[in-house]
This record gives sequence, structure tokens and C-alpha cells, in this order.
Amino acid sequence: MTMTPRLRKFALTAHITSSVGWIGADAGFLALAIAGLTSQDAEMVRAAYLAMGLIAWFVIVPLSLAALLTGLVQSLGTKWGLFRHYWILVKFLIAIFATIVLLIHTQPISYMANAAAETTLSSADFREQRIQLVAAAGAGLLVLLVAVTLAVYKPRGMTPYGWRKQNEEGSVAQP
Amino acid sequence: MNNKNPKSHFNTKQQTPRWVKMFGIIALVLALLFVVLHLTGRGLGGHASGCHGVQQQ
Repeated sequence: MTMTPRLRKFALTAHITSSVGWIGADAGFLALAIAGLTSQDAEMVRAAYLAMGLIAWFVIVPLSLAALLTGLVQSLGTKWGLFRHYWILVKFLIAIFATIVLLIHTQPISYMANAAAETTLSSADFREQRIQLVAAAGAGLLVLLVAVTLAVYKPRGMTPYGWRKQNEEGSVAQP
Repeated sequence: MNNKNPKSHFNTKQQTPRWVKMFGIIALVLALLFVVLHLTGRGLGGHASGCHGVQQQ
């Protein structure tokens, strides 16, 4: 199924907006996670983890799901396909992996946000969780930057499925 | 995604590109590292040491 040019532009706009928004939100989340881990100011730490809980649930999770969904629409609704080119397949796997890891990490994020709301956190409290959030946000940002790089450079290489489909379409086009 | 013509990629030979192989090797190494770190308890481990068993408000 191929989309009309107008619909394709709309889907592409939605995909770029959600994907780039996801990266920006993750970068903001990383800054807060570092502040929460390193700051000596109790109010700063408290504010950081409360903000991280909100950003995770109301910005990052929706944007990640939107990026995944619009990416699927964009690939399946155009001649690029989802399984024809390695760079699209790799990007799809990255998006699925990043979304799953993000959903898994909503638990420690909510835990820290709740802890910050109820008590004053000292620098030694929940140290492992705080380090984990910095590492997860940093790794997530790195993975998303790899996905953006793939989308921009579009490295060559077709999958066996892509070759088969290309040959099928070529034989149909040449009676 | 659609700034290039998909057919411009059709001239590539039918073999797995080197960048895909490198990407796969790096992903495999990272996955193994992740599993080993978690199995040995040296991971960043926040999941096991505080989140579980605590009621969230």
C-alpha cells in the first residue's frame, strides 16, 4: 500500500517530530538524572526526580510510541518497505529495543519520583538507582543518535527479502 | 526517510554489507556484556536492590 504524497508528507512530519522530540526529551532527562545524582542541594535533587517522573510518563513514553508507530506507517506506506533495506530494519529494531528498555525503566523512574515526593533524599540514598537512571538515559541518547545517523546517511544494502521483491517487481515490469 | 529514491540502492551486490556485520557484532558484544554484568551482580542493578517489594504510592 502506497500513501498519497500529501499523506506521506504528513506521516514524515509526524515521524521526524516525534523522533527528534524523543531525543530532546531524553537529553533533558539525562541532565536531570545527572543533577539528581551529583547535586548536594536537597531541593534540587527532589525537583529533579519529580520532574523526571513527569517527563518520562508524559513526554518520553508517548513520543517513543509515536516514533515507533509513525516509523512503521512511513516504511509500510512507501516503497521503502520495512524489511527491504538493512538500515530501515536496523532502525526499526533500535526503536523497538529502546522502547522496551524505556518501559522497563519506568519502574525505577516512578520509584525515585515517589521517594523524592515523600522524603528528603541524601546523596547516599538510592545510589544504585540514581546511577542506573543516568546510565540508561545516556545509553538511550546514544542509541537514538545512531538511529538518526542511519536515517540521514541511509547506508546501502538490501536484505535477501528486498532483493527477492525487487526481482519480482522487475519481472512484472518487463513482460 | 523519503529524501532519496529507494531505487538508488538497488545496485548494491547481494551480500550482507560490512556495516551490518559490524553493527551485529557490536550489538552481540553489548548484549553479552549486559547479561554477564547482571548475572555476576556487577550491573548498575537498581532493579534488584530497592524497587522490588516496595509499594509505590
